[in-house]
Amino acid sequence: MKDRIDTYIKKDKRKISIIIIALVIIAFGTVPFYSDVDSFFSYYLFICFLYIILAQGWNLVAGYTGQISLGTHAFFALGAYTTAIIWLHDVTKTWYYFDPLVMVLSGLVSAIFAIIIGIPLLSRLRGDYFSFGTLAAAEVLRILILRGGKFTEGAMGLRLPGEGFTGMGIYYWTALLLAILATAVVYFITRSRIGLALKAINEDEISAASHGIYILKYKVSAFAIGAFLMGVCGSLFAYYLFIVSPPAVMNLNWMFLPMLICILGGNGTILGPIIGALIVGALFSYADVYVGQTHPMLSGIIIILVMKFMPTGIMGLKDRISPRR
Amino acid sequence: MANQLLEVKGIDVSYGDIHVLWDVSLQVEEGTIVALVGANGAGKTTLLKTISGLLRVRKGEILFSGENLHNFKPQEIVDRGVIHVPEGRRLFASLTVKENLRLGAYIPRTRPFFAESLERVFSLFPVLKNRKDQKAGTLSGGEQQMLAIGRAVMAHPKLVMLDEPSLGLSPILVKTIFELIRTLNEQKITILLVEQNVNQALKIAHQAYVMKTGKIVMCGRGCDLLADEEVRKAYIGERATKRKG
Amino acid sequence: MEFITQVVINGILFGSMYGVAAIGLSLIFGTMRIVFIAQGSVIVLFAYCCFWLFSLLGIDPYLSLIPIILVSLLLGAGFYYGLFKEAAALKDRIGSLLIAVGLMFFLENFMTVVWSPNPRAVVTSYGFVVFHLFGINLTLTRLIGLLLALLATVGVATFLRKTLIGTAVRATSEDVEASTLMGINPNRVNAVTFAIGIGLAALAGTTLATTYSFDPIYGFDFAIKALVALTLGGIGRVYGALLGGILLGLIELLGTYFVGAGWAQAIVFAVFLLALTFRPYGIFGGASEKV
Repeated sequence: MKDRIDTYIKKDKRKISIIIIALVIIAFGTVPFYSDVDSFFSYYLFICFLYIILAQGWNLVAGYTGQISLGTHAFFALGAYTTAIIWLHDVTKTWYYFDPLVMVLSGLVSAIFAIIIGIPLLSRLRGDYFSFGTLAAAEVLRILILRGGKFTEGAMGLRLPGEGFTGMGIYYWTALLLAILATAVVYFITRSRIGLALKAINEDEISAASHGIYILKYKVSAFAIGAFLMGVCGSLFAYYLFIVSPPAVMNLNWMFLPMLICILGGNGTILGPIIGALIVGALFSYADVYVGQTHPMLSGIIIILVMKFMPTGIMGLKDRISPRR
Repeated sequence: MANQLLEVKGIDVSYGDIHVLWDVSLQVEEGTIVALVGANGAGKTTLLKTISGLLRVRKGEILFSGENLHNFKPQEIVDRGVIHVPEGRRLFASLTVKENLRLGAYIPRTRPFFAESLERVFSLFPVLKNRKDQKAGTLSGGEQQMLAIGRAVMAHPKLVMLDEPSLGLSPILVKTIFELIRTLNEQKITILLVEQNVNQALKIAHQAYVMKTGKIVMCGRGCDLLADEEVRKAYIGERATKRKG
Repeated sequence: MEFITQVVINGILFGSMYGVAAIGLSLIFGTMRIVFIAQGSVIVLFAYCCFWLFSLLGIDPYLSLIPIILVSLLLGAGFYYGLFKEAAALKDRIGSLLIAVGLMFFLENFMTVVWSPNPRAVVTSYGFVVFHLFGINLTLTRLIGLLLALLATVGVATFLRKTLIGTAVRATSEDVEASTLMGINPNRVNAVTFAIGIGLAALAGTTLATTYSFDPIYGFDFAIKALVALTLGGIGRVYGALLGGILLGLIELLGTYFVGAGWAQAIVFAVFLLALTFRPYGIFGGASEKV
């Protein structure tokens, strides 16, 4: 009898979750209607959505490969630069502005880069060495961008013609859509049988070694999918900002904030990055406005405080057991 | 009433959410060898780790010389003279034999006796003296076990807890190790011995406990348990039992 | 030919600075598995201290080295107890990296705001003294930098090998749990390690201030290079880290000489990636070192 009750409760929980998710999406989706779409609040949410996309991408890699990637900013920047270059050189003879095809292409470029560096790094390196490798690859990309001559305009960056700008609305909804998409992708991949199997294997090194090539295939795929999401996100940002330069898109913020978001939200959960993004987004964008110049200092302090006192994140707070030592 | 050096009273221990030890009680009388036997996963190593401070106690007490060790840090427990020689030895492979022994006498209390302890270890284990400048990782299994025990001796211990000292050793070496354990006991060191080699363990033990799935299920004198039918069947093997009739 | 020799010598002198930074990183990473990415910014901070002590109080940079190092040891212990203790205990890789990043952001921004983003350098009266040997120019300050680096390396290596605490540090690097069973207090050992790491940063900072110019954001770049040097040298090897740094200095300066500064950087990272892929235990590393 108890089992049947439990099943009913589970089904109800499922239904309730779906209803809540739908409500949340509707709530976010209708923001531009009841709040001025060009307001700071919309901007704040827009940035949050961008961070959610990046965080979910990072989350996928961390969960699937068990490795910490420090190259998020590289994939983001690649997407942004690809979009800018395609636009400036009018490569695709379609819309000049806000072209989904270009966004997909940007994502693909990032994914290809991920595959190129992913195969050697994932097959040979574990743990911290892998992280160093991604960081190094990102720095190589930075140098290539800086030395790209006319193609990338080095440190000054590429300026995109601003005529297409029609208001915040389209950016907002695209970002929201992508954030939902990214979350869904990560959710389904990590819950899939392959995802769970990989997770188990990651925790057992001997098993991982003996499965060799198949594991590598899936790990590189996850890495590439994560990179794709980050690239598309970068593309959207390029469309929004109209300037693509190293300080704008290869800023270290784009690398470590997604990590912070995942940790703050609760490592390994799907909801976590969303909650984390909302909080971190608030802290950083409002800090930027009010504290301005010194905001990285504040950011630094906040990160330290969060990691010291809430290392398991917000989702982890609810089931905090006293630690071993 | 004999002097109980170590008294474990009704402790519960968990790894996170998983409850692993249930109301475990045990006494070790000063100057004796106490054996703790049982199948893999019975909780023997967990118990040792709890006594040495690597794991927290949820409920119950651990008394050493009457003092409650409740949730002391491992360093403080070592300072009291309780030395845990862990499963698999856990030597510092990149350090030399001598350096490993040096660290055995890290606690300030033991440092004045360093030279004396070193001599003692070298006379107990001449092989270590020959290899004193070799990296511990290059030693054979038996030598490593001797080094692990030697390291414990350096700490001027009152109680030495050995976790599976015979693991991975050939039968001859196993005999040697057990003789060494006896010798140490004769030198006034109390021993708590966790072993899978139940036969040998019960032979040298004054007192013994049997653990199963996190609980103590039997206790008694070593020789009594050695003769016990159930114990022999479960842990030593049929061939040791005389069939009746 | 002479000119290349000059570049090589400069590379060695410059690289020794990376080496000193790398030793600190190596120790901290070896014992606590913390990637202390803020090392570069800390070095720059000390460079500023050296600079201000010289500019405002007229204290010779090499004389101020002693008090600065003493302060740095305390600072290092402070960093450990204040920032990293919990993350180290939980072996929380991401957490400790984020804390280090937070510290780096804080320091960089602090220095930019308080001391302005303009580059600085310490120029002493003897700063222009140059020896001419076999047609090569050897700047006095750079030579002193090399000397300090060598002294520091020998000092740290001796400490690790000959002292009891040093041996405890090595043991903790290998197996923390086993070391607690020896009665070693991991917090004390970690604090000592961190103190040494920051002490080395202070040394590198003085060398940086007296031999080159620096600005607040140089820190990240320096830290990455130190990381490269660390990888080339192999984690946990003190002399390896120094040699890794020197090798890196050579690659960087020779690269600059042949293909220009920008591409030299790319070569550095390419070498880094190659080293990571094929010799992750360091160029001088054995087949199976502990990671």
